[in-house]
Amino acid sequence: MRNQILLSLIALLISQITIAQSDTTDVYKKRVLASNEIDFMYSYYTQDGNKAAVSGGIGTEKLTDAVPTIIIAIPINDDDVLTIDAAVSAYTSASSSNINPFDGKQSADPFLATSGASGSDTWVNVNGSYSHSSDDRNKIWSAKASIATEYDYFSAGVGGTYTQLFNKKNTEITAKANIFIDSWTTIYPIELRPFENNRNERGITALNYRVISGALYSPTFDGFTNTGRNSYSAGLTLIQILSKKMQGAILVDLVYQQGLLSTPFQRVYFSDVDSSFIGNFRLADDIERLPGSRFKTALGGRLNYYVNEHIVLKTFYRFYNDDWGVASHTVSLDVPIKIGKGFTLYPGFRFYNQSAASYFAPYAKHLSTDEFYTSDFDLSEYNSKQYSFGISYTDLFTKKHIMRYGLKSIDLKYSMYERNTGLKASLISFGVKFVLDKKKTGLIESQSE
Amino acid sequence: MKKTFIILGVLITSFSSCTVVKEYQKVNLNDPDMELSSRKIDRFETNFQGYREAASGANGGKTGGGCGCN
Repeated sequence: MRNQILLSLIALLISQITIAQSDTTDVYKKRVLASNEIDFMYSYYTQDGNKAAVSGGIGTEKLTDAVPTIIIAIPINDDDVLTIDAAVSAYTSASSSNINPFDGKQSADPFLATSGASGSDTWVNVNGSYSHSSDDRNKIWSAKASIATEYDYFSAGVGGTYTQLFNKKNTEITAKANIFIDSWTTIYPIELRPFENNRNERGITALNYRVISGALYSPTFDGFTNTGRNSYSAGLTLIQILSKKMQGAILVDLVYQQGLLSTPFQRVYFSDVDSSFIGNFRLADDIERLPGSRFKTALGGRLNYYVNEHIVLKTFYRFYNDDWGVASHTVSLDVPIKIGKGFTLYPGFRFYNQSAASYFAPYAKHLSTDEFYTSDFDLSEYNSKQYSFGISYTDLFTKKHIMRYGLKSIDLKYSMYERNTGLKASLISFGVKFVLDKKKTGLIESQSE
Repeated sequence: MKKTFIILGVLITSFSSCTVVKEYQKVNLNDPDMELSSRKIDRFETNFQGYREAASGANGGKTGGGCGCN
């Protein structure tokens, strides 16, 4: 029934395109992108909490992440734009340092970070996209490719979008599709590694040198044989101008994932298995086990209203559900306020809630007889609030220059995120945009000659 | 879910009856703050929300790829 409704929806969208007023009037062809643009951005994220998935739903969630990013957009000709986007994320995670909690000098404890190698990593991401606009600017297609890599994960993706504008450019429909082919290098909690697939190689484990208290530690542990993860997504976006001061969008995304959807180093503790400890750290009974597929549906809407020359209201709502039992609602309101001389303030608020995945239970509440289990609180029932405040400066005339590039805009934003599981996070982001000044390069003079 | 798609269908149909705004009348709609896509500076926010929350998609952000497991 759901598929039939979806097909009807797609048919309706297509019919809207065909019956729409044609817009073939010859107009002056403006370049899609006037000249090269460069964005330098930087963000610094911190979080803390006490329900880490690595230690089975208890323990420190402390994490810091610094992400410098550069985005370069180059007009190839009047119609085509090439965009390169590169980011490097350097993070330190107390939580993931507890993949091996026994490599530090202090006693092992899920609420303490260790100084081991697993506590930090670098994630590198490069995206390239190419877009082409038709002469009347009513059709736009784009193709993109991406690569992301970190120590234990590699992701490669391709995708494309097609946009059609009609109804005198009052209506816009975009269809998109993406495929990501990802793979894990499986890293298991240190204490489980000697027991993988009944090897029971106790002689090579660092645990030999530790005093294990509690029950005899002899888990049955099977490693993952399939370490790939594929994601396929398709989406539709409809943008409609509703009046001279209001426009809205409806977005639909469908995502199907298959493969290894569990995180191999996230511990699970069972309520029906006696516990074993080294120091204060309980040794894993198993790792997170989740189904090999997931189907996600998200339906969102945006509505923007231009109140006056100083204030704009930007609203967003999204409903999401998936076949793991998660349903969620997201609402947000941003109110850009222009205060003059190129400065704009960006106060915002966002509320999010979700129900728990069917496979979630907190620390030591799962049974060893369950087929699937996780104690990752990202899959628990919770709600979160986010308060943000930003300031932006825009110089329409790009008067200030660094070499041949004029300063177009500067952005600074701070966000504070709290969820009722105890997790608190903050994010500060900074961005600066430069535009190649053709007068400085002599391009305008040479073109006019 | 069915109800949601029906509402969506009704909304789309009703859009076709909207008044057509001509190019020279779009001065307010062309304000950069009226854009329906996220600002570039918001990409980090969208990323961390995607990592920390089970829901993703329908917000202009990424719908897959990458780990997000820390």
